[in-house]
Amino acid sequence: MSMNEVIAVLAAIFVAPIIGGIVAGIDRKVTARLQGRYGPPLLQPFYDVFKLFGKEKMIVNYWQIICAYMYLAADVLTVVLLALQSDLLLIFFVLAVGGVFLVIGALAAESPYSQIGAQRELIQMLTYEPLLILVFVGIYLETGSFKISDIIANYHEPLLLSLPLLFVVLGYALVIKLKKSPFDIATSHHAHQEIVKGVLTEYSGPYLAIIEISHWYETVFILGLCALFWHTNFIWMAVLLVVTYFGEVLVDNICARLTWRWMLPHAWTGGLIMSFANYFWIYEKIK
Amino acid sequence: MVDSLIGISILLPFIAGALCFFTKNHRVRAAIIVTTGIILTISSLMIFQNLNGPYLYTPETLLGLKVNSLITFADFALLFIILAIAFKLGNPLVIVLTLLQIIPLAYFELKMAPHVEVTPALYIDNLSIIMNLIISIVGSLICIFGIRYMEEHEHHLHLKKSRQPRFFFFLVMFLGAMNGLVFANNLLWLYFFWEVTTFCSFMLIGHDKTEIAIRNATRALWMNMTGGVAFVAAIIFIYYNTQSMEYLSLQALINHGPEVMTALLLPFALLCFAGFTKAAQVPFQSWLCGAMVAPTPVSALLHSSTMVKAGVYIVVRMAPGYQGTFLSTMVATFGAFTFLTASALAVNMSNGKKILAYSTIANLGLIIACAGINTPAAIIAAVLLIIFHAISKGLLFLCVGTIEHAIGSRDIEDMRGLYNSMPAVSRITIIGILTMMLPPFGALMSKWMAIEAAANIPWVVVMIALGSGLTVLFWARWAGIFVSGPHLKVFESQGKEGFFAPLVTIFKGFYTKAKWKDPASIKVPLVSLAIGAIILSLSVPWLYTFLVDPVLSCYKPGLFVEPFKTGPMGFTSGAGAFYVLPVFLVSIIAYLAAVVAAKQKDHRVFSAPYMCGEQYADIAEPKFRSHLNNWTNYVPANIYMQDIIGESKISYWINIIALIILIVLFGEVLR
Repeated sequence: MSMNEVIAVLAAIFVAPIIGGIVAGIDRKVTARLQGRYGPPLLQPFYDVFKLFGKEKMIVNYWQIICAYMYLAADVLTVVLLALQSDLLLIFFVLAVGGVFLVIGALAAESPYSQIGAQRELIQMLTYEPLLILVFVGIYLETGSFKISDIIANYHEPLLLSLPLLFVVLGYALVIKLKKSPFDIATSHHAHQEIVKGVLTEYSGPYLAIIEISHWYETVFILGLCALFWHTNFIWMAVLLVVTYFGEVLVDNICARLTWRWMLPHAWTGGLIMSFANYFWIYEKIK
Repeated sequence: MVDSLIGISILLPFIAGALCFFTKNHRVRAAIIVTTGIILTISSLMIFQNLNGPYLYTPETLLGLKVNSLITFADFALLFIILAIAFKLGNPLVIVLTLLQIIPLAYFELKMAPHVEVTPALYIDNLSIIMNLIISIVGSLICIFGIRYMEEHEHHLHLKKSRQPRFFFFLVMFLGAMNGLVFANNLLWLYFFWEVTTFCSFMLIGHDKTEIAIRNATRALWMNMTGGVAFVAAIIFIYYNTQSMEYLSLQALINHGPEVMTALLLPFALLCFAGFTKAAQVPFQSWLCGAMVAPTPVSALLHSSTMVKAGVYIVVRMAPGYQGTFLSTMVATFGAFTFLTASALAVNMSNGKKILAYSTIANLGLIIACAGINTPAAIIAAVLLIIFHAISKGLLFLCVGTIEHAIGSRDIEDMRGLYNSMPAVSRITIIGILTMMLPPFGALMSKWMAIEAAANIPWVVVMIALGSGLTVLFWARWAGIFVSGPHLKVFESQGKEGFFAPLVTIFKGFYTKAKWKDPASIKVPLVSLAIGAIILSLSVPWLYTFLVDPVLSCYKPGLFVEPFKTGPMGFTSGAGAFYVLPVFLVSIIAYLAAVVAAKQKDHRVFSAPYMCGEQYADIAEPKFRSHLNNWTNYVPANIYMQDIIGESKISYWINIIALIILIVLFGEVLR
């Protein structure tokens, strides 16, 4: 392992949650403003997590502990692999490990809210996972590699210019992954969740804090994925990230929640059509 | 030495099966089965140990009789037995299909090409060895599991006269037929063993003699007989199109020159079709689902190491032969379609065995898709998937069988909270499930390779992507169901293990109270398969170098590009990388951290599940206060999406589309 790689791993482990927490703070602030409120301080997510760590450890089932830790480990590993510029599909599969353990943890608790949340989370995973694979396949078709390091080394144009439709698909998948409205079906960060708190119903105290931190890692991973679409220039990359994330927050605030019966067919049809259109475009270009 | 080992692999199960048939004493029979299993395992390991490079072998005589004539004779004898059974069943379809094999085969052997001699008759390379290892080890473990299982099974059925001799006759013989099938190079021999597996599976599926068992066995028979007809047709067309006996050797068929490609395309397509029927690909999926009525060892054997694996074996084996043709693309499309649809069907199943059945069909579809994609990387994915699927699926079937005997149900909704009452079996089942779906385990690694290899055929990769999303759904919720429920009796032995607590917990889990009471013949197969699934996943780089890589030698040198490099960490390929060990290490660390966290003293462990304040006082009982202050049970259940993708709703359309794909395949081949 070279020095650079060590630094990348350390940054992924220690800096990523800080970034993720700040992004969460900004998210809350912007959301508040969009709703005509003043909003909490920027560092409120950190205060929340510290407070959660100080609370009593209460669980319904021991498996929740395993699941919380596995969820965190998978998400940290996701970000580490991203920082190491590893294989996109591998990163995706590791991300899926986190999702699976979140679901198992929710199923472990007997509460019907948590059970329904788990079922819905599974359907959300079912919806966004194929879309992410399609996006990665598009990146492969354009750049000839699934490996981020190869893409950065050998491909010198912004991916967004050749994969615009796939970027839309990615955005679609990420709203579902981040469980933002209109797809906050399994759980939600807002206080208006219809099934109490869905998958997170039975998590409290330190274990909820662990899940919250995992969520920050996830946010960083998602931003990293979007950054890949303009890896040639830092300023444009930053612009792309800001615009994308603001777009997600905006969608979160202006949409009402949909049901999974709407989400699944629409996301798949839309995603498939856009992916194929983009693949076709790539083929035409290569010709 | 290798000669006799090969002889043992093929003949011993036939002899042992016959011995089982004539042995009345239960203990003696058990001893025969265990001994056979051990000898088969050792012999397969020794073949693996003693072989470097392909091994050619043509047995001339057996007990003074010419082997070639013996097999021809046995072949016709078998077909006539099936014909007799068909008449007894009164099933015109089976009669016609049997006659469609007997008459052309007789015409071929007597008139067209009398005295076919193919050398070598047996050809053993790494792919055969891999198959032989799977059949001998996983298959034997399943047979051993069957000893105790069948005792309990017959106890449940209150049989007056034990029918176990007949059962083990076919079960053990199956292993011999499979070994013969994977060693055979002479297509006529291969065809014989092919038909033996069809026949054995028919007898085993119908073993319980209930009405539904006989109906499903008959369906399995006729569907596999269509494959048999295609097989005979392929043999005849090979001879007719090339006017040469040379290509009746499987190796010659695969390594043919470009000048005979068009002549051999139809035989390839027919053989692939035979493989599809045996591997229960759509539209033939119903026979494998129907096979669930048989006792668990049968379904475990059919699904993991034998029967269906014969189907994918032939398709993967021939892959280099049809590389670069339209047929190859269609095979990939067909396999990917099966993967997608079978995964969708698995999602709306609550019957544990049917979930496993559809998942098997899906995985076989993925293997066939890999064969169709037909790059070295894809073939590696296919071979690895054959290995890992055999182990994990064999394990899962045995788990469900054990659970079924304990709780009297195979419905996954009835397995809620099973971790409380059957911790050991539940833990092993969860391991089985995780090895099917998560990194760094082998099945998922093969899927990763498959997706990377499929990336250049967009419609195939789309089907694989959608299908793989569906597989995560039904596996994850099943694993979750096991641990569902309140854990009240945990940690009885808290503090005793001290420093080694985390280590002990790995083996014992969080729950140490309930003892595992099953007998050794059930424990040993379960534990060894579970350990095997994990260890093999970790030793993938080694497995690749020694076993899988040489499989690729059948690829023509010009096409051969080394697709993967193995290192201590796992795989790296031109297009991507898969790190086995780091992922595994991180998972272990997280697990240990969780164990340490759970062991801390300051836990106020249990709170009642959240019920909006209407929770029943006793948290072991899932009740809430409903109208009129009544305490009402609540029943959680999975979303099976039956209104959208219900089996009865979509099976019809799936079959039609699959038929269309097959018609297009043959239409284009015949053009």
